[in-house]
Amino acid sequence: MNILLVTLLTCGLYVLTKKLAKRYPILLFHPLIFTPALIIITISLIGISPQTFDEGAVVLTHMLGPATIAFAIPVYKHVEVLRKYVALILLGVISGSTVAILSTFLLGLLFGLDYHLLISLLPRSITTPLAMEVSAEIGGIPALTIVFVIITGIFGALIGPMVFKVLKIKSPMAKGLALGMGAHAVGTNRTLEYGEEATTFSTLAMIFAGIITILLGLSVLPLLVGLL
Amino acid sequence: MRRIGIISVQVAIIHIFLFLAIGLKAIVPIPLPTSIVGLLLLFSALFFNVIKLEWVEQGGRWLMAELLLFFIPSAVGIVNYDELAGVQGLVIVLVIAISTIIVVGITGLIVDRFEVKQQ
Repeated sequence: MNILLVTLLTCGLYVLTKKLAKRYPILLFHPLIFTPALIIITISLIGISPQTFDEGAVVLTHMLGPATIAFAIPVYKHVEVLRKYVALILLGVISGSTVAILSTFLLGLLFGLDYHLLISLLPRSITTPLAMEVSAEIGGIPALTIVFVIITGIFGALIGPMVFKVLKIKSPMAKGLALGMGAHAVGTNRTLEYGEEATTFSTLAMIFAGIITILLGLSVLPLLVGLL
Repeated sequence: MRRIGIISVQVAIIHIFLFLAIGLKAIVPIPLPTSIVGLLLLFSALFFNVIKLEWVEQGGRWLMAELLLFFIPSAVGIVNYDELAGVQGLVIVLVIAISTIIVVGITGLIVDRFEVKQQ
């Protein structure tokens, strides 16, 4: 009963938000900003605790698994592109992942972030289901990591075009890889305006960034965490 | 209605790869998350023509298109962490902003320069 209620409530408010966003394309109506806000207000009004809501959300959260697996489909469709540019994609993604983790770590130290916040922040640049796994692996709080991943995605997709302009980056391939690396699925969504080539590279970058960060999460990250 | 049916069946097919991944991880200790193992299994099945692209294409497209929906319950979890409302919250947004600009800039520059060299 709880599961049905939570699923219907979430889907209903999600569809409503998407309709609003289509009519008024502003940041406030982002499905990961507006819908959670509506849900928090609704459940506190009808007296459901966040814990009860969370227990009822198992079906929706479970779908993250199959949704991640589905990314095998675009990789398969673009396997020729992958073959041709595998070196360049790996170069971009390995440098991007290293810069993402190190800059987050150093900036976090510089600003004196709390230990558990800093750890949860480290895997923020990859897609959510994978970031949650890395976060749990290195002793972070997955629920916090999700929020940081979402902020990264929204901000990266927003700022990306400005960064390209300032640095005079023009190739669709570089734009796609940079957005998929820096802003995961939300960035990939943004590359739709740069053409199919950019979207293909963005999808590949997002998937490989996830895999590379998981490998770093199992090897280098525990060492970084050990330094604290 | 027919479209909903096709999507449901195809999402079920994709679930088979989730279960295969769970099974495989139970037998062989693979140090990768279940979803990545499932992704590799689905890719191999497509690549070696074990299954056809048309069997999973529409279901997969739906799952990826509605990805944000599945994140929403996790985003609601933010209410459990009051510390994000204070100064630390602002600092985190600042760290994310600076780091993301650096990541997008450096990745873009490296790929842009090497692409020119390759041609």
